Amino acid sequence: MTDQGIKSRPIYAALHRDSSGRRHLYISAGSGPPPEALGPDGLESWAVAPTSCEGTLRRPDRAGERRFRSTRQLMETLERRLASERMGLRLYAEGPEDFLWDVYGIAQAQGLGRQEVFLKQSGSLARRVQCVHCKTFNEGVTTTIVRCAGCGANLFVRDHFSRRLSAFQGVKVDAEQPGDVPQAERAYP
Amino acid sequence: MILDGTIPAHVSGIESLSPTLKRFRFEPERGHFPTAAPGAHILVTLRGPERVWKNAYSLVTPPEQRDAYAIIVRRAEESRGGSHFLHDHLRPGDRVEIGAPASLFPIANRARRHVLIGGGIGITPFLSFLPVLRARGAAFELHQYCTDAETEIFGRLLTEAGGAATIHGRTSRRAIAEILADQPLGTHVYTCGPERLMAAVEAAALDLGWPSHSIHQESFGGAGGGAPFHVRLARSGRSIAVSETQSLLEALEAAGIEAPCLCRGGACGVCLTGVIDGEVEHRDHVLTEEERAGGRLIATCVSRARSGALVLDL
Amino acid sequence: MGIQFRQDERFRESFSYFNSDAGVLRFPFPFGEDRYMYSVNIEPHTRGGPTPAFAHAFDIDEHYIAECQERALVLADDPGRCQVLPHMMPAQWDTLELLMESLSADYPEHFSLTKDGDSWRWINRPLGIDQSFVFGRPETLPCEPFEYITRQAQGDFTLQDQRDDNLFVDGGMVTTQADWSLDFDIGMSFHEWHGPVPLAHDIGVFDRALRFLLRLQYGHPVRRLNWTMTINPRLDTSPENYPDWGPDRTTVTPENVAEKVHLRVELQTLFRLPRSNAILFGIRCYLLSLKDIERVEKWRKRLHRVLTTLPPELAEYKGLTRYRDTILAHLAPHDDGAELSLGIQPDQTVLPPA
Repeated sequence: MTDQGIKSRPIYAALHRDSSGRRHLYISAGSGPPPEALGPDGLESWAVAPTSCEGTLRRPDRAGERRFRSTRQLMETLERRLASERMGLRLYAEGPEDFLWDVYGIAQAQGLGRQEVFLKQSGSLARRVQCVHCKTFNEGVTTTIVRCAGCGANLFVRDHFSRRLSAFQGVKVDAEQPGDVPQAERAYP
Repeated sequence: MILDGTIPAHVSGIESLSPTLKRFRFEPERGHFPTAAPGAHILVTLRGPERVWKNAYSLVTPPEQRDAYAIIVRRAEESRGGSHFLHDHLRPGDRVEIGAPASLFPIANRARRHVLIGGGIGITPFLSFLPVLRARGAAFELHQYCTDAETEIFGRLLTEAGGAATIHGRTSRRAIAEILADQPLGTHVYTCGPERLMAAVEAAALDLGWPSHSIHQESFGGAGGGAPFHVRLARSGRSIAVSETQSLLEALEAAGIEAPCLCRGGACGVCLTGVIDGEVEHRDHVLTEEERAGGRLIATCVSRARSGALVLDL
Repeated sequence: MGIQFRQDERFRESFSYFNSDAGVLRFPFPFGEDRYMYSVNIEPHTRGGPTPAFAHAFDIDEHYIAECQERALVLADDPGRCQVLPHMMPAQWDTLELLMESLSADYPEHFSLTKDGDSWRWINRPLGIDQSFVFGRPETLPCEPFEYITRQAQGDFTLQDQRDDNLFVDGGMVTTQADWSLDFDIGMSFHEWHGPVPLAHDIGVFDRALRFLLRLQYGHPVRRLNWTMTINPRLDTSPENYPDWGPDRTTVTPENVAEKVHLRVELQTLFRLPRSNAILFGIRCYLLSLKDIERVEKWRKRLHRVLTTLPPELAEYKGLTRYRDTILAHLAPHDDGAELSLGIQPDQTVLPPA
């Protein structure tokens, strides 16, 4: 992946426990265990069961652990949970970039700020790309250039990232000379 | 709004609130005052027979009140003169100069709930917060800590400002940690009062896991004095002594030097002055760690010399 | 005497845009020196400056009516060009108060504001508006207060909320922009919002600018100039509509370069707002054709020198790459290399015929 030098693209650090918090909630788009640096003491851990489970949920291994059938279910539960949370919570999230910033959006709407939420990208590097011209979201983009599902323009995937939209910006690559579309390269596997 | 210099005004009313508290009203010589932020303070220039004071006071009037500003001042026992002059010498009709209202204590726009904790005269910025929070339909609570003798007067001021508040006298008061425990996500706490109270609020909030960005303190004029030192002004070659009870800024002003300043509490950065030689004891809230380590700037209103002498780019 | 407003200007399709001689001479030419690089070029926004464009808090000129009409056209197509996040309502009223008080004080022949407590009456004569409303009550205006007043002002505006030792662009009216999208950028922090700008991050420009702006004081606004170039007198060079205006960049020829290429200057002003503690960022856009620039001897020589030495990253970011050489070939014969005065003032009071 080449760096386009654009500073809005998030840089992620490894998760570790923020000891200034009183309660700690870890949520993951995957189903692996939380990173050890989050510590076991009183850590709540939420995860999404893999699709191979086909909707079945196994019993959690330990207290504080919880599983969800889908990302959507996890997000809805998170929203309800945060609505009744008190000051002192630290939220940690791990998963693909669009998942992370969807979580952040829910957290921010419920009053959490940048000092209270910690994010770590893992899994697929595929991008959500918003077409700046027609505003369509193109999900799971792995290439430097993508044809917009909304308007059909060939979009260059710019490193400019909106945390609010949880998306990169797509700009018509041949706007100045229509038809002059470079070869798309696989860049975000 | 572009403001050049100070606004000429006069004293339009003085009201004694308690043996040590007075409320002063000022009216502009012409037109209206600028819209002031909730929690704003103004720099009042007072010209006494022997010297000039420039003191910062919180406005107790709401933003929409532009025909008059009001401040409440406690006559300090160990005053460097400003509050004594106001209490003992200022009369209705006297002329004063008022600087643009500055805000270093704003209401957090994204906060979902506001907890205001005042101590003693630190109630003043909250008197302008209250009508604003009410008009916005914001969720808030206000706690005022004071001596038993002053519960009545502070209660009256808070009622005037239209706020429901809890007054904590000496004999029956809730612990700060108890107030801050169990607040919903997105709560911000604001505190103004004696250093000890503000430090206690900060410590309690941090202990409960509040992020530092949710904790707001009003502070100006709290830095106090220190060991005396000398400054040499590189451009004019003048040498000026700063006494133990004086700030560097006050010493410069006493020597007739037009030194820039605004908040006089180390928060706004307007007074930052170049340091050519000498070691600075930084007491401001403005400079970054890098800038402090660089040692090339000093906030004259609060910071002092660590080295006995400084050479300034003035 | 009031401003003589132009009535039939068009900033799209058939294009019809002219500057009077006075309009040319008041242009805030952005180059005070023969070379250009990013810097924290911020100065106090006091009344007065090198040209009359700096005389007031908010500059109104002969294009006022036409620019307000163009804004209305853009908003009719794309209402998302004006957005304000919900926590910025106090900043909306701050903006309305600041603009109404400034315009009525600075241009009393065109605007008037009268108040009876919270009951305000606003008269905008050029646009034929007479509006009574209650300050603080959005339902008494035809739309939200920020949109209401910025529909009646030249240039773009954004609102920055200050929190977490940072500034967040949490609202704006953006219809005359140099290729950035409010709809995409809204909610971003200072460094995120400026993310795509090349070079400046690495030399610390944004770190220093942010620290400075966090301390910006009420009553003491600041300003700076920024610039780019636009083909045709088009105000709406948004990324949204890039497929429509992008091809213009390939149409520049030696024959039409003087008419087609416009220097686009932003007089940027920053005001601390009282109730909200937000910062209002005014981005006032001026367009001047190369043909008109050439009528000012100092400006045509200086523009030649600046474009000759412009770092390639900057030329690329500003979208000049396709036609920079055509401009240089046009200007080169008219630059004798003579020393030019520092500063942006035109150094002449009359212009040769167009």
